[in-house]
Amino acid sequence: MKPAPPLVWAVIWRTALFVLLWWVLSDGRLDSWTVGSGSVALATLLSLRLSPPTRGRVSFPGLLRFLTYFVFQSLRGGIQVAWFAMRPQTGLRPAMREIDLRLPEGIGRVLLINTLNLLPGTLSVELQGRQLCLHVLDEHVSAEAEVRMAETFLARTLRLELEPA
Amino acid sequence: MSLPEIASFILLLAGAVFFFAGTLGLLRFPDVYTRLHALAKADNLGLGLIVLGLLFKAPGAAMSIKLALVWLLALAASATASFLIARRARQHSIAPWRSGEHE
Repeated sequence: MKPAPPLVWAVIWRTALFVLLWWVLSDGRLDSWTVGSGSVALATLLSLRLSPPTRGRVSFPGLLRFLTYFVFQSLRGGIQVAWFAMRPQTGLRPAMREIDLRLPEGIGRVLLINTLNLLPGTLSVELQGRQLCLHVLDEHVSAEAEVRMAETFLARTLRLELEPA
Repeated sequence: MSLPEIASFILLLAGAVFFFAGTLGLLRFPDVYTRLHALAKADNLGLGLIVLGLLFKAPGAAMSIKLALVWLLALAASATASFLIARRARQHSIAPWRSGEHE
Protein backbone atom coordinates (compact mmCIF):
# COMPACT_ATOMS: atom_id res chain seq x y z
CA MET A 1 0.00 0.00 0.00
CA LYS A 2 1.19 3.46 -0.87
CA PRO A 3 0.94 6.35 1.60
CA ALA A 4 -2.04 8.67 1.23
CA PRO A 5 -1.39 11.55 -1.18
CA PRO A 6 -1.40 14.97 0.47
CA LEU A 7 -4.77 16.62 0.63
CA VAL A 8 -3.33 19.53 -1.35
CA TRP A 9 -3.04 17.41 -4.49
CA ALA A 10 -6.59 16.18 -4.23
CA VAL A 11 -7.81 19.78 -3.85
CA ILE A 12 -5.79 20.94 -6.88
CA TRP A 13 -6.94 18.07 -9.10
CA ARG A 14 -10.58 18.33 -8.17
CA THR A 15 -10.66 22.12 -8.45
CA ALA A 16 -9.17 21.86 -11.94
CA LEU A 17 -11.78 19.28 -12.87
CA PHE A 18 -14.67 21.41 -11.63
CA VAL A 19 -13.27 24.52 -13.34
CA LEU A 20 -13.24 22.55 -16.60
CA LEU A 21 -16.78 21.34 -15.92
CA TRP A 22 -18.03 24.87 -15.29
CA TRP A 23 -16.34 26.10 -18.43
CA VAL A 24 -18.08 23.33 -20.37
CA LEU A 25 -21.49 23.99 -18.83
CA SER A 26 -21.31 27.77 -19.32
CA ASP A 27 -20.01 27.48 -22.90
CA GLY A 28 -16.92 29.46 -21.94
CA ARG A 29 -18.79 32.65 -21.04
CA LEU A 30 -16.62 34.90 -18.86
CA ASP A 31 -19.44 36.75 -17.10
CA SER A 32 -20.62 33.49 -15.51
CA TRP A 33 -17.54 33.12 -13.33
CA THR A 34 -18.91 35.15 -10.39
CA VAL A 35 -21.39 32.35 -9.80
CA GLY A 36 -18.94 29.82 -11.22
CA SER A 37 -16.10 30.33 -8.76
CA GLY A 38 -18.47 29.88 -5.82
CA SER A 39 -19.93 26.75 -7.37
CA VAL A 40 -16.49 25.30 -8.05
CA ALA A 41 -15.42 25.90 -4.44
CA LEU A 42 -18.61 24.33 -3.07
CA ALA A 43 -18.38 21.36 -5.42
CA THR A 44 -14.76 20.72 -4.43
CA LEU A 45 -15.61 20.86 -0.70
CA LEU A 46 -18.60 18.58 -1.17
CA SER A 47 -16.59 16.08 -3.21
CA LEU A 48 -13.89 15.93 -0.53
CA ARG A 49 -16.56 15.25 2.06
CA LEU A 50 -18.48 12.64 0.03
CA SER A 51 -15.44 10.90 -1.38
CA PRO A 52 -12.28 11.54 0.67
CA PRO A 53 -8.99 11.19 -1.21
CA THR A 54 -7.64 7.64 -1.17
CA ARG A 55 -4.26 6.08 -1.80
CA GLY A 56 -5.45 4.43 -5.04
CA ARG A 57 -4.32 6.05 -8.25
CA VAL A 58 -5.63 5.51 -11.73
CA SER A 59 -3.28 4.05 -14.33
CA PHE A 60 -3.74 5.94 -17.58
CA PRO A 61 -2.52 3.18 -19.94
CA GLY A 62 -4.84 0.86 -18.02
CA LEU A 63 -7.73 3.30 -18.40
CA LEU A 64 -7.11 3.61 -22.12
CA ARG A 65 -7.14 -0.18 -22.54
CA PHE A 66 -10.28 -0.44 -20.44
CA LEU A 67 -12.04 2.21 -22.55
CA THR A 68 -11.07 0.51 -25.82
CA TYR A 69 -12.33 -2.81 -24.50
CA PHE A 70 -15.50 -1.12 -23.22
CA VAL A 71 -16.29 0.57 -26.55
CA PHE A 72 -15.90 -2.67 -28.54
CA GLN A 73 -17.93 -4.67 -26.03
CA SER A 74 -20.67 -2.00 -26.05
CA LEU A 75 -20.85 -2.38 -29.81
CA ARG A 76 -21.09 -6.16 -29.47
CA GLY A 77 -23.66 -5.92 -26.68
CA GLY A 78 -25.87 -3.46 -28.55
CA ILE A 79 -25.80 -5.47 -31.76
CA GLN A 80 -26.51 -8.72 -29.90
CA VAL A 81 -29.52 -7.37 -28.06
CA ALA A 82 -30.83 -5.61 -31.18
CA TRP A 83 -30.55 -8.92 -33.04
CA PHE A 84 -32.53 -10.73 -30.32
CA ALA A 85 -35.16 -7.97 -30.37
CA MET A 86 -35.69 -7.88 -34.13
CA ARG A 87 -35.68 -11.61 -34.92
CA PRO A 88 -39.07 -13.20 -35.58
CA GLN A 89 -38.38 -15.65 -32.72
CA THR A 90 -36.25 -13.94 -30.09
CA GLY A 91 -34.38 -17.18 -29.32
CA LEU A 92 -33.49 -15.95 -25.83
CA ARG A 93 -32.03 -18.55 -23.47
CA PRO A 94 -31.69 -16.62 -20.22
CA ALA A 95 -30.31 -18.06 -17.00
CA MET A 96 -29.05 -16.99 -13.57
CA ARG A 97 -25.41 -17.48 -12.69
CA GLU A 98 -23.52 -17.00 -9.46
CA ILE A 99 -19.91 -15.92 -9.56
CA ASP A 100 -17.38 -15.16 -6.82
CA LEU A 101 -15.74 -11.82 -7.55
CA ARG A 102 -12.00 -11.45 -7.45
CA LEU A 103 -11.93 -7.66 -7.20
CA PRO A 104 -11.59 -6.37 -3.63
CA GLU A 105 -14.52 -4.58 -2.02
CA GLY A 106 -14.99 -0.91 -2.86
CA ILE A 107 -15.05 1.28 -5.94
CA GLY A 108 -13.75 -1.57 -8.13
CA ARG A 109 -16.79 -3.74 -7.46
CA VAL A 110 -19.20 -0.85 -7.98
CA LEU A 111 -17.63 -0.10 -11.35
CA LEU A 112 -17.64 -3.79 -12.26
CA ILE A 113 -21.36 -4.18 -11.53
CA ASN A 114 -22.15 -1.12 -13.64
CA THR A 115 -19.83 -2.21 -16.44
CA LEU A 116 -21.35 -5.69 -16.59
CA ASN A 117 -24.79 -4.14 -17.10
CA LEU A 118 -23.53 -2.51 -20.28
CA LEU A 119 -21.52 -5.49 -21.54
CA PRO A 120 -22.98 -8.13 -23.91
CA GLY A 121 -25.46 -10.52 -22.34
CA THR A 122 -24.84 -9.84 -18.64
CA LEU A 123 -26.98 -8.06 -16.03
CA SER A 124 -25.93 -7.73 -12.38
CA VAL A 125 -28.82 -8.69 -10.14
CA GLU A 126 -27.47 -8.88 -6.62
CA LEU A 127 -24.24 -8.70 -4.70
CA GLN A 128 -23.96 -10.58 -1.41
CA GLY A 129 -20.53 -10.39 0.12
CA ARG A 130 -18.30 -11.28 -2.79
CA GLN A 131 -20.88 -13.40 -4.55
CA LEU A 132 -22.43 -11.74 -7.59
CA CYS A 133 -25.73 -12.95 -8.95
CA LEU A 134 -25.79 -12.42 -12.69
CA HIS A 135 -28.58 -12.71 -15.26
CA VAL A 136 -27.36 -13.84 -18.68
CA LEU A 137 -29.19 -13.70 -22.00
CA ASP A 138 -27.64 -16.84 -23.43
CA GLU A 139 -26.94 -19.71 -21.05
CA HIS A 140 -24.46 -21.28 -23.47
CA VAL A 141 -22.08 -18.35 -23.24
CA SER A 142 -19.63 -18.43 -20.36
CA ALA A 143 -20.57 -15.54 -18.11
CA GLU A 144 -17.56 -16.24 -15.97
CA ALA A 145 -15.17 -15.52 -18.85
CA GLU A 146 -16.83 -12.11 -19.39
CA VAL A 147 -16.64 -11.26 -15.69
CA ARG A 148 -12.98 -12.30 -15.39
CA MET A 149 -12.08 -10.21 -18.41
CA ALA A 150 -13.84 -7.10 -17.07
CA GLU A 151 -12.22 -7.68 -13.67
CA THR A 152 -8.74 -7.86 -15.16
CA PHE A 153 -9.19 -4.62 -17.09
CA LEU A 154 -10.64 -2.79 -14.08
CA ALA A 155 -7.92 -4.10 -11.75
CA ARG A 156 -5.23 -2.78 -14.08
CA THR A 157 -6.95 0.59 -14.38
CA LEU A 158 -7.38 1.06 -10.63
CA ARG A 159 -4.12 -0.71 -9.70
CA LEU A 160 -5.97 -3.27 -7.58
CA GLU A 161 -4.84 -6.76 -6.67
CA LEU A 162 -7.20 -9.58 -7.68
CA GLU A 163 -8.07 -12.02 -4.91
CA PRO A 164 -7.96 -15.76 -5.63
CA ALA A 165 -11.33 -17.00 -6.93
CA MET B 1 -23.12 16.96 -48.71
CA SER B 2 -19.61 17.08 -47.34
CA LEU B 3 -17.88 14.06 -45.85
CA PRO B 4 -18.39 15.05 -42.18
CA GLU B 5 -22.08 15.65 -42.90
CA ILE B 6 -22.44 12.19 -44.43
CA ALA B 7 -20.59 10.59 -41.51
CA SER B 8 -22.77 12.47 -39.06
CA PHE B 9 -25.92 11.40 -40.90
CA ILE B 10 -24.94 7.74 -40.92
CA LEU B 11 -24.05 7.76 -37.21
CA LEU B 12 -27.32 9.48 -36.24
CA LEU B 13 -29.31 7.02 -38.32
CA ALA B 14 -27.50 4.03 -36.80
CA GLY B 15 -28.15 5.45 -33.33
CA ALA B 16 -31.85 5.72 -34.07
CA VAL B 17 -31.89 2.10 -35.26
CA PHE B 18 -30.48 0.92 -31.92
CA PHE B 19 -32.97 3.00 -29.94
CA PHE B 20 -35.71 1.42 -32.04
CA ALA B 21 -34.31 -2.05 -31.36
CA GLY B 22 -34.09 -1.33 -27.64
CA THR B 23 -37.72 -0.26 -27.55
CA LEU B 24 -38.73 -3.30 -29.57
CA GLY B 25 -36.90 -5.48 -27.05
CA LEU B 26 -38.66 -3.72 -24.18
CA LEU B 27 -42.00 -4.61 -25.74
CA ARG B 28 -41.18 -8.12 -26.96
CA PHE B 29 -38.90 -9.65 -24.33
CA PRO B 30 -40.60 -11.97 -21.84
CA ASP B 31 -39.65 -10.72 -18.36
CA VAL B 32 -38.22 -7.83 -16.37
CA TYR B 33 -34.61 -9.11 -16.50
CA THR B 34 -34.43 -9.58 -20.27
CA ARG B 35 -36.14 -6.20 -20.79
CA LEU B 36 -33.47 -4.51 -18.70
CA HIS B 37 -30.85 -6.06 -20.98
CA ALA B 38 -32.60 -4.58 -24.01
CA LEU B 39 -32.81 -1.10 -22.53
CA ALA B 40 -29.33 -0.82 -21.05
CA LYS B 41 -27.38 -2.22 -24.00
CA ALA B 42 -29.30 -0.79 -26.91
CA ASP B 43 -29.58 2.66 -25.34
CA ASN B 44 -25.90 2.73 -24.46
CA LEU B 45 -24.94 2.07 -28.07
CA GLY B 46 -27.77 4.17 -29.53
CA LEU B 47 -26.93 7.22 -27.46
CA GLY B 48 -23.19 6.65 -28.07
CA LEU B 49 -23.72 6.72 -31.85
CA ILE B 50 -25.98 9.78 -31.68
CA VAL B 51 -23.43 11.63 -29.53
CA LEU B 52 -20.69 10.69 -32.03
CA GLY B 53 -22.84 11.92 -34.89
CA LEU B 54 -23.51 15.21 -33.11
CA LEU B 55 -19.79 15.69 -32.39
CA PHE B 56 -19.35 16.32 -36.12
CA LYS B 57 -21.72 19.26 -35.81
CA ALA B 58 -20.46 20.59 -32.45
CA PRO B 59 -19.42 24.25 -32.69
CA GLY B 60 -16.53 24.03 -30.23
CA ALA B 61 -14.57 22.09 -27.63
CA ALA B 62 -16.93 23.02 -24.78
CA MET B 63 -19.92 21.59 -26.62
CA SER B 64 -18.00 18.42 -27.56
CA ILE B 65 -17.06 17.75 -23.94
CA LYS B 66 -20.63 18.47 -22.88
CA LEU B 67 -21.93 15.88 -25.35
CA ALA B 68 -19.44 13.28 -24.09
CA LEU B 69 -20.51 14.05 -20.51
CA VAL B 70 -24.15 13.51 -21.41
CA TRP B 71 -23.27 10.05 -22.68
CA LEU B 72 -21.23 9.19 -19.56
CA LEU B 73 -23.94 10.37 -17.16
CA ALA B 74 -26.63 8.51 -19.09
CA LEU B 75 -24.48 5.34 -18.97
CA ALA B 76 -23.94 5.62 -15.23
CA ALA B 77 -27.65 6.25 -14.67
CA SER B 78 -28.87 3.40 -16.88
CA ALA B 79 -26.37 0.88 -15.47
CA THR B 80 -27.23 1.78 -11.88
CA ALA B 81 -30.97 1.85 -12.52
CA SER B 82 -30.87 -1.60 -14.21
CA PHE B 83 -29.03 -3.06 -11.23
CA LEU B 84 -31.47 -1.55 -8.72
CA ILE B 85 -34.56 -2.71 -10.64
CA ALA B 86 -33.13 -6.21 -11.14
CA ARG B 87 -32.22 -6.49 -7.45
CA ARG B 88 -35.68 -5.37 -6.37
CA ALA B 89 -37.26 -7.89 -8.74
CA ARG B 90 -35.18 -10.68 -7.24
CA GLN B 91 -35.97 -9.63 -3.68
CA HIS B 92 -39.64 -9.87 -4.63
CA SER B 93 -38.89 -13.41 -5.86
CA ILE B 94 -39.80 -12.68 -9.46
CA ALA B 95 -38.56 -15.79 -11.24
CA PRO B 96 -36.60 -15.24 -14.44
CA TRP B 97 -38.29 -16.49 -17.59
CA ARG B 98 -36.79 -19.72 -18.97
CA SER B 99 -37.00 -20.73 -22.62
CA GLY B 100 -39.13 -23.79 -23.25
CA GLU B 101 -41.26 -23.46 -20.10
CA HIS B 102 -43.90 -21.11 -21.46
CA GLU B 103 -43.77 -21.71 -25.17
